[in-house]
Amino acid sequence: MSDSEPIVRVVGVHKYFTRGAERVDVLQNLSVDVPNGEFLALMGPSGSGKTTLLNLIAGLDTPSEGEVWVGDELISAMSEAQLARWRTRSIGFIFQFYHLLPVLSAYENVELPLLLLPLTTAQRRAQVTTAMELVGLTDRLSHRPGQLSGGQQQRVGIARAIVTDPTLIVADEPTGDLDARSADEILKLLDELQRSLQKTIIMVTHDPKAAERAQRILHLEKGQLVEQTVRQLERA
Amino acid sequence: MLEFLKLVNAHWRDVLYVLLAGSLVFMALLAAIGKVPVSYNVRNLVVRWKTTIMTALAFTSVVALMTVMMAFVNGLYSLTENSGQPGNVVVLSSGSNDEGFSNLAFDDVRNVERMPGIISDSEGDRMVSKEIFVVGNQQIPVAPGEKPRRRFVQIRGIENPQIAGKVHGLKLQPGGQWFSEAGVEQGQGDAGQNLIQAVMGNGLAAEMGRDLGTSPLAVGDTFSLADRTWKVTGLLDSGGSTFDSEIWAKRQITGEYFGKPASYSSLIVRAADDVAATALAETVKGAKETALNALTEKEYYSNMAETSRTFLYAIVIVALIMGVGGVFGVMNTMFAAISQRSKDIGVLRILGYQRGQILISFLLESLVLALAGGLLGCLLGLVADGWTARSIISGGGGGKFVVLKLVVSREILATGLLLSLFMGALGGFIPAVSAMRLRALESLR
Amino acid sequence: MLGHLAKFLVIIFKNVRRNLVRSTLTSLGTMVLVLVVTSVWSVLSFIDAQTSEKANDFKVLVTEKNKAPSRLPYAYSSSLREGAARNPGDVRPTDYMTWAFYGGTLDPTKMTRENFIFLIAGEAEKVPTMMDELDQLGPADKERLMAAVEKMKRQRNGCVIGPTQLKTMNKRVGDRIKISGLIFKGIDLEFEIVDTFPDAAQRYAQTSIMNIEYLLAALDEYKVKNKKPHPQGAAPIAFVVLRVNNRQEFERLAEQITASPLYTSPAVRCESQASAISSFLEAYKDIFWGMRWLLAPAVLVTLSLVIANAISISVRERRMEIAVLKVLGFRPGHVMMLVLGEALLIGAASGVFSAGAAYLLINKGAGGIPFPIAWFQRFFIPDQAPLWGLAVGAGTAFVGCIIPAWSARSVRVADVFSKIA
Repeated sequence: MSDSEPIVRVVGVHKYFTRGAERVDVLQNLSVDVPNGEFLALMGPSGSGKTTLLNLIAGLDTPSEGEVWVGDELISAMSEAQLARWRTRSIGFIFQFYHLLPVLSAYENVELPLLLLPLTTAQRRAQVTTAMELVGLTDRLSHRPGQLSGGQQQRVGIARAIVTDPTLIVADEPTGDLDARSADEILKLLDELQRSLQKTIIMVTHDPKAAERAQRILHLEKGQLVEQTVRQLERA
Repeated sequence: MLEFLKLVNAHWRDVLYVLLAGSLVFMALLAAIGKVPVSYNVRNLVVRWKTTIMTALAFTSVVALMTVMMAFVNGLYSLTENSGQPGNVVVLSSGSNDEGFSNLAFDDVRNVERMPGIISDSEGDRMVSKEIFVVGNQQIPVAPGEKPRRRFVQIRGIENPQIAGKVHGLKLQPGGQWFSEAGVEQGQGDAGQNLIQAVMGNGLAAEMGRDLGTSPLAVGDTFSLADRTWKVTGLLDSGGSTFDSEIWAKRQITGEYFGKPASYSSLIVRAADDVAATALAETVKGAKETALNALTEKEYYSNMAETSRTFLYAIVIVALIMGVGGVFGVMNTMFAAISQRSKDIGVLRILGYQRGQILISFLLESLVLALAGGLLGCLLGLVADGWTARSIISGGGGGKFVVLKLVVSREILATGLLLSLFMGALGGFIPAVSAMRLRALESLR
Repeated sequence: MLGHLAKFLVIIFKNVRRNLVRSTLTSLGTMVLVLVVTSVWSVLSFIDAQTSEKANDFKVLVTEKNKAPSRLPYAYSSSLREGAARNPGDVRPTDYMTWAFYGGTLDPTKMTRENFIFLIAGEAEKVPTMMDELDQLGPADKERLMAAVEKMKRQRNGCVIGPTQLKTMNKRVGDRIKISGLIFKGIDLEFEIVDTFPDAAQRYAQTSIMNIEYLLAALDEYKVKNKKPHPQGAAPIAFVVLRVNNRQEFERLAEQITASPLYTSPAVRCESQASAISSFLEAYKDIFWGMRWLLAPAVLVTLSLVIANAISISVRERRMEIAVLKVLGFRPGHVMMLVLGEALLIGAASGVFSAGAAYLLINKGAGGIPFPIAWFQRFFIPDQAPLWGLAVGAGTAFVGCIIPAWSARSVRVADVFSKIA
């Protein structure tokens, strides 16, 4: 693991907000490297800064100080428009509440990020089909989110996250809204994706059981890294 | 700038179509740049169908109303446009711009009649029509107990109906005849007098028929006017011109009953073409021995378009103000749509859609809504096509009572759609900007 | 009970303020649409008033029977003002005025609209009593008008010209003007502008009046000078207006006049002023019909839709809190009241405001709605317009919010909470 180049490099990142005269530090001098192909879990209590860290890595937010590199791109220096373009190609998002567009079918939801790429309809169809095959939902292509169970919706969400073949998949509490069985299925799916496609996955979670799936768990508290658990066991 | 405006004025039809086509192309272009599938917008419109219908119907009612009103003005304009014959010159007494106020002495008329430049037709008839134009009061028959009603009817006293028909480019409908040289015929009319022969326009025939609760007056029917009984000998094939609301009868008889026994109102003469007509009009006006006003017939009728312009302005103002109301309505709808779908916006932004693309998506949604409402409005407005309405056309002090047909032209429909799209764009833009300004992460919370 | 109502009002006010953007947009939409309706109704109500008979101010018009424009000999006037009464007990009009029209240009070489002026020629002393609405002027204006009338009586060439007409001609009170006659060719008259109409006489902004004696004298002079009468000299007047006390008197008067041997060549028609105006406006009937039955309703429908839309959006957004209110014990009727109240408040307030603003801006600011139709140039917003605004605003709000209010009423607590859970 440690021998491969890190795909994500967070270097000396500070993130703070000013609320009136008061400065609220969310992240303080934080540095993290994420090797290519790693399944990383971020844990910590509410307000520990784990989601902020995830957002910085995903290019949804920019640090107050420090640098965030993904691959060989310094995303912390990108403009908003550049970030948006970069996200389309490089990041797959998985949300706690799935965030599928309710009026679009499963197929169309998955296709959404592809519309921003210079692809033909046939190419898009091929990619969407592949993604839906990977999440095992080829029989639900024309269903709307409202017609799907929570677990199924999340699988559509995962298909949408992988359909562009991104460098990095970020997941914010992907099982937070699911019952135990569905959650387990989703985690298994993430695990499989990571293994079979060699995807780097960064996942924020509260749930120790979910975190167990990850190869490495970073514990944050008050904006600082407090503990690191590496699980090599299942990797072998 | 002025040159540009002139150009626009001269080619307003093309400008209109270019604008409409441009707007539609622009929408397609937006859809292409925006990348968010239009089906996303359409389906959302369907999902919240209640507000969609209410908003679209507001557009519909504005556009439909505008269509009907414009069709009316269009009918007025087409009357004034279709009434003049190419090459015709109207000669009036000096200082008057309208037949109704013109008094030509017989001597004046003789002088003009002889002028070179007046052509003869293939049958050798010199194209000169000497006419009087008077307005009479007609008592409308009403049921006993009802309030008395009357109407103004326009009567053209004609010297020679055959030639007048040629000069005005009017024929009789099959089965009709021009009135005789005497202008009267045997028969028992009011006060036991002979019947006055007359031909009349279709529009007026229909209207008089309505008085009696029957079908339009036909050849052989009689009517009362100025204490005399008149008999219809023919109907003018006059649809779409101001003559549709006129009665034509013998000049001498008309003059006697309507206070113009010894003068003409106007003299209509035909020149070879419009250029020659303009020249002839100038010659008449410049003639030293007479004091006359002359203008081409086209000019004469286009001067009558003043009423049409008044209505046009009024309609434009009303349509614009109503449009503003519609704009506020669609703004409400779009603001609500955006606040309801802030999560969608957040997701799209996170997936990499740019702010501009979000703006486009919501702008398009408003435009689609507007287009749907506008199309329905056009459809509804089409119902008015062919309706008849009475009005007055006037200008320069004179006027004519007319019956017109409402004409819903393609230009009107295009204007309606444009207005609708304009309202949609205006009402959609500000909410779309607010959608664009939403922060991705915050909108997901 | 009153306390309850106050509480409700407070909630309603708060609801209006909650989504200020929506309330503002709805209110603005209401205002512009009420403006249109008010303007349209102003035109129609004026026309209606003109064409409906007034019970205790019954004016009668005597015109030429068979032809238009009507031309009557001046001699008709003197017997008509007596109602052609021949027998004791015949109806005699209580007042009269003879009308003739004199029009011409200030510059015969430049016959532009600015140079054109049109004067009503009548007996000067009849102006204050026999011309519509001039009898309703305030005391100060009345006094001023009387003074002008006195001047016109003293010097026959005096004339009173409406303020807008004065401005168009770029003249002032006291100026002398020379007019080349167009209606009466060859009768060129010189006038002194003795006054203008007071602002309160809104309808007379473009109207001008002169002493008919001046016109008649000029016609006589013409006859002497040219050794033949003026072509229109035999029938210079347009009509005679008579006043009677009521419809019964009018009917008898009409009979007297029509039966009289005095008026045969030309024959005359005797009709109520209202019905004469109706006849003149007959040609515009379809336009008024369109304004009344297409334009105004379309605006009202649009307005209802705009309000209905806004309210139904609010109801949809507030389903949750409506459910909470119901849990707290609000009955369906209460919920409906809240929704209705909000709509009515916005509608009524915007309506009153808009119509009131229209009244001030159009009447005082713009000098009327410029809609030249028939011989009317401008229309004014009537005093009761704010009431129309109230009625239209509240009425359309009510119609528009029936369905959303009903759906708010029938929000089912269980449904809402089950969705959340």
